[in-house]
Amino acid sequence: MLLLSLKMTLARKGRLFLTSLAIILGTGFLSGTFIFSDTLSKTFDRLFTDVFRDVDSYVRSSSFIEVQFGGEQRASVPIEALDTVLAVDGVKDATGDIQAFARIIGKDGKPLGSDNGPPTFGGIATASVAGLWSVEEGRLPSGETEMMMDRATADNGDFVVGDVVRVNAQSGSREFTLVGIASYGEISSPGGATFALFDQPTASAFLLKPGFVDAFLVQGDGSLSEEELAARIDAALDPTLKLETLTGAQITEETTDQIGAVIGFLTTFLTIFSLIALGIGCFVIFNVFSITTAQRLRENALLRAIGANRKQVTTALLVEAMIIGLIGSILGFFTGIALSRGLSALLAAFGVDIPTQGLSIELRTVIITLLVGTLVTIASAVFPALKAGRVPPLAALRDTAIENVGSNRRRFSVGIGVLVLGVVALVLAAVGVNDWFLGLGVVAFFAGVLIIGPGVAKPVALGLGRPIEWWRGVTGAMARQNAARNPKRTARTAAPVLIGVALVTAFTAFAASVEKEIRDTIGDQFNGDYAISAPSNGFGGLPITLSDEVAALPEVEQATGLGFATVTLDGEGRFVQVLNPATASGLIDLEMVLGDQTELSPNGVIVSNNRATTEGWQLGDTLDIGLVDGTAKTLTIEGTFVPNGFFGSYVINRDLFADTNNTLFDTIIYVNIRDGVSDEDARAALATVSTDRGLGTLQSRQEFIDAQSGQINQILGLIYGLLALSIVIAVVGIVITLLLSVFERRREIGLLRAVGMTRSQVRTTVRWESVITSMFGAVVGVVLGIVMGLVLIVVLADDGLSAFSLPVGGTVVILVLSFIVGVLAAVYPAWKATRVDIMQSISTT
Amino acid sequence: MRRRLVGMSQAAATAEAAYKIYGSGDGEVRALDGVSITFDKGKFTAIMGPSGSGKSTLMHCIAGLDSLTSGSVTIGGVDLSGLNDKELTKLRRDQVGFVFQAFNLIPTLSAEENIVLPLSLGGQTGDRAWIDRVIDTIGLRDRLDHRPSELSGGQQQRVAVARALASQPSVIFADEPTGNLDSKTGQEVLTFMRRAVSELGQTIVMVTHDAVAASYADRIVFLKDGKIAGEMTEPNPEKVLDYLKHLGE
Repeated sequence: MLLLSLKMTLARKGRLFLTSLAIILGTGFLSGTFIFSDTLSKTFDRLFTDVFRDVDSYVRSSSFIEVQFGGEQRASVPIEALDTVLAVDGVKDATGDIQAFARIIGKDGKPLGSDNGPPTFGGIATASVAGLWSVEEGRLPSGETEMMMDRATADNGDFVVGDVVRVNAQSGSREFTLVGIASYGEISSPGGATFALFDQPTASAFLLKPGFVDAFLVQGDGSLSEEELAARIDAALDPTLKLETLTGAQITEETTDQIGAVIGFLTTFLTIFSLIALGIGCFVIFNVFSITTAQRLRENALLRAIGANRKQVTTALLVEAMIIGLIGSILGFFTGIALSRGLSALLAAFGVDIPTQGLSIELRTVIITLLVGTLVTIASAVFPALKAGRVPPLAALRDTAIENVGSNRRRFSVGIGVLVLGVVALVLAAVGVNDWFLGLGVVAFFAGVLIIGPGVAKPVALGLGRPIEWWRGVTGAMARQNAARNPKRTARTAAPVLIGVALVTAFTAFAASVEKEIRDTIGDQFNGDYAISAPSNGFGGLPITLSDEVAALPEVEQATGLGFATVTLDGEGRFVQVLNPATASGLIDLEMVLGDQTELSPNGVIVSNNRATTEGWQLGDTLDIGLVDGTAKTLTIEGTFVPNGFFGSYVINRDLFADTNNTLFDTIIYVNIRDGVSDEDARAALATVSTDRGLGTLQSRQEFIDAQSGQINQILGLIYGLLALSIVIAVVGIVITLLLSVFERRREIGLLRAVGMTRSQVRTTVRWESVITSMFGAVVGVVLGIVMGLVLIVVLADDGLSAFSLPVGGTVVILVLSFIVGVLAAVYPAWKATRVDIMQSISTT
Repeated sequence: MRRRLVGMSQAAATAEAAYKIYGSGDGEVRALDGVSITFDKGKFTAIMGPSGSGKSTLMHCIAGLDSLTSGSVTIGGVDLSGLNDKELTKLRRDQVGFVFQAFNLIPTLSAEENIVLPLSLGGQTGDRAWIDRVIDTIGLRDRLDHRPSELSGGQQQRVAVARALASQPSVIFADEPTGNLDSKTGQEVLTFMRRAVSELGQTIVMVTHDAVAASYADRIVFLKDGKIAGEMTEPNPEKVLDYLKHLGE
């Protein structure tokens, strides 16, 4: 029996290939995701092991703030404490280390490195053996005007020793003389990052705060273990400084884990999309097996008639599925290798540029890919195989059997039941009971629609086909009837299209709503003529002194900076917006409910209306705030504002940070120009302090609003890219179904050809059938997608339904594309249909 | 147009020195071995012969479904050699009607849609009065909206004959049209075909191995081993069976 299955499977090579294609693409995405994230992890593991190779102990502040998705912000270490460390017995040498934001400006005036790419660091170059860098060329920098940079950056930027180089950092934009090129062990540039290096006092003052560093790197003299050394240093440190000592192994592990968490998030994100692709692949496999078992009814009945029992027929089919699944997964694994490169390129195209070295293929990837691919294929074939086993032997004598449609009433009652369940879950999610209901609701909603699908496929296909019949006459009529003749098949074929289109539509609707929200908010609250902005999601930002420099320009009427900070509020890690009330008025207008933003005191906070309501806060209530450096203060609530997608929930005064050891950047500077200054003059003047020095992006009000609201479209583009493979699988599904249908109807096609249907008319019939099927999926998918987008907005947005914006243009594009997909999917099956041998199909036997 | 007129004879269809050879060398099979024949307009001709005698091949070649190895075929005065697939398809649509043994109708179309199918494919509506007359003759006016699956085998074959007649083709080819029917329904269909020739002036060429069916024809052509073995006019079943017995020897 096993041999028979094998023979039967291999006898249909073309079908085998097409069926496998769905599995190949699905598993390919999965293994591609694994390979990509493994490669990424390995690259970073290697990098950090290299970085901390010679570090035996690592001293840093124990004061930090952790914010969900925001990582960790840690306080600085006073350089005086270094003497204590150096005095510890067993310490060979120690040095201060800084890893702060510094952007080297290239000779063309543009900053080196990208906004979302590898970080651009500033650090310390020292003669100490505990330091990370060694001099490769020239000498170490000394004093306020000298610097070094890493070899790769020097080469990329075409810098040589002796050049004057501009660097931007927290404290502003300065020029330095390049006195040396540094190397990092054997690596010229770790991970593609750029490094600007200074002596310790310069680095502290320019990058951080005079007299402070991020950490101390300590090298032991070899007489103690790492643990003993760390314990001894820890004991020697002044406890009031709140410092902690880690071993080299600990800091390596911690850094690797932090990166691992980011990679893990990325992997989860990619895995979700690969599972969508795999799920759609399942549908295709399920459909193919259902059709082929129906077509092979006689074959299976014959097996039963000559003595095979039910189990044997079912097993034979499952074995066939296993073979297809295994072959598909093996090919999928190799496809995954190529796809991992593709994922890298796709992410890079959307600004997530991550350097990878080599290709990391773990045994786990191979096993999971083969196992998942094979099991999923077998699972998809279970229902059709059971059905095949139930074929009565007598069916061998009957004519061709069309799949029976089954009871529609039961289908509707089950489907509607599931649908109602989904709606209930969505409503629960919408009123905020638990976000898990959102996932449950979406899945149930989809399941309900897919269950009802075959029940409505016939009327919907007939309805969609009507205009085609009017337009195309008898060929259109036949296409319409063909699409409707087997509702189960049509529904199953349309299902992958439906899922793909629904997801695309939901994301489009969601993005359109978010874009509108941001556009409205910025439009309402930003009243300046120009904006200078740093990437808000990046590392670092604009020096807080820049807004004053801008304001001092003769062309400028008013300028104000806006930044954000990581703090704790009543013990919880939060992002807060930081503004300068003295200059903000008229440029940044919060929609105040209570209080006055211009009167925000250094120890005051303005909170969102919603937040105040949920927490029961009143004006005059107080909040405990903790800053990164450990500063603890008490804030008084001085006002409330209407929340929006831009300002978060808390706004504080920048003066709060004035006498603390915290780094603070502005992300945006809003500017009003004096009356009568032309656009050209204004831009030229603003550029002298900003873009000419590689600081930020200069945009007019409209450009700024477009850019800010357009950011969501970047993510949308990435999601489209990740969904593309699912759409391809859906198209493959249509192609296979059409091929099988053509094969099944070859006698009919032969008859039509005999009585005078031209080849082009045959093609037309197949093409329109394909279009009707794909449009069936697309139309239902669009409706479903809009509903999902609506739910997402209601659940996730603060101000509910009013934020929803229907993406009319996007929906039309999706429908047009689905139409084109239908036409393209039909090309090969239609050609196959024209090749039907008339003689063979009309011969009676 | 590459059509060539072959004179204004009374021929609905002709074959001239028709050869159909499969394979070559030792494995060569001569399905048609030099057949020349003329089918007259307004006549009902039956082609008989044992299995493998080439009767179906002859029909398929004359009908433009298959091509000859050598020789020529005309339908309605048009030489089929040199017509490309598109022209052949158009010729079949406009000049030829077909009735097959089974699977004659498109299951998704109603009886009426099946009847006018060749016309619709050509974007024509046809001669409505003629179509009505055909429908009345087959006696299925009350069944026109039914799908083939809702019709009996005999009714399906009558619809097939009506479809063949609808476009008033030069010639109708019927391949064992009663092969799948019981004798009573078979007779209904044959009677109807007979009337189509006698009363409606159509031309029918029917391949059959059934002596009774053949006896409805005006003329019977016997084929053996790809050659014409004889002819008979004004046949009756006994005469035919007698002749077949001779042919077999």
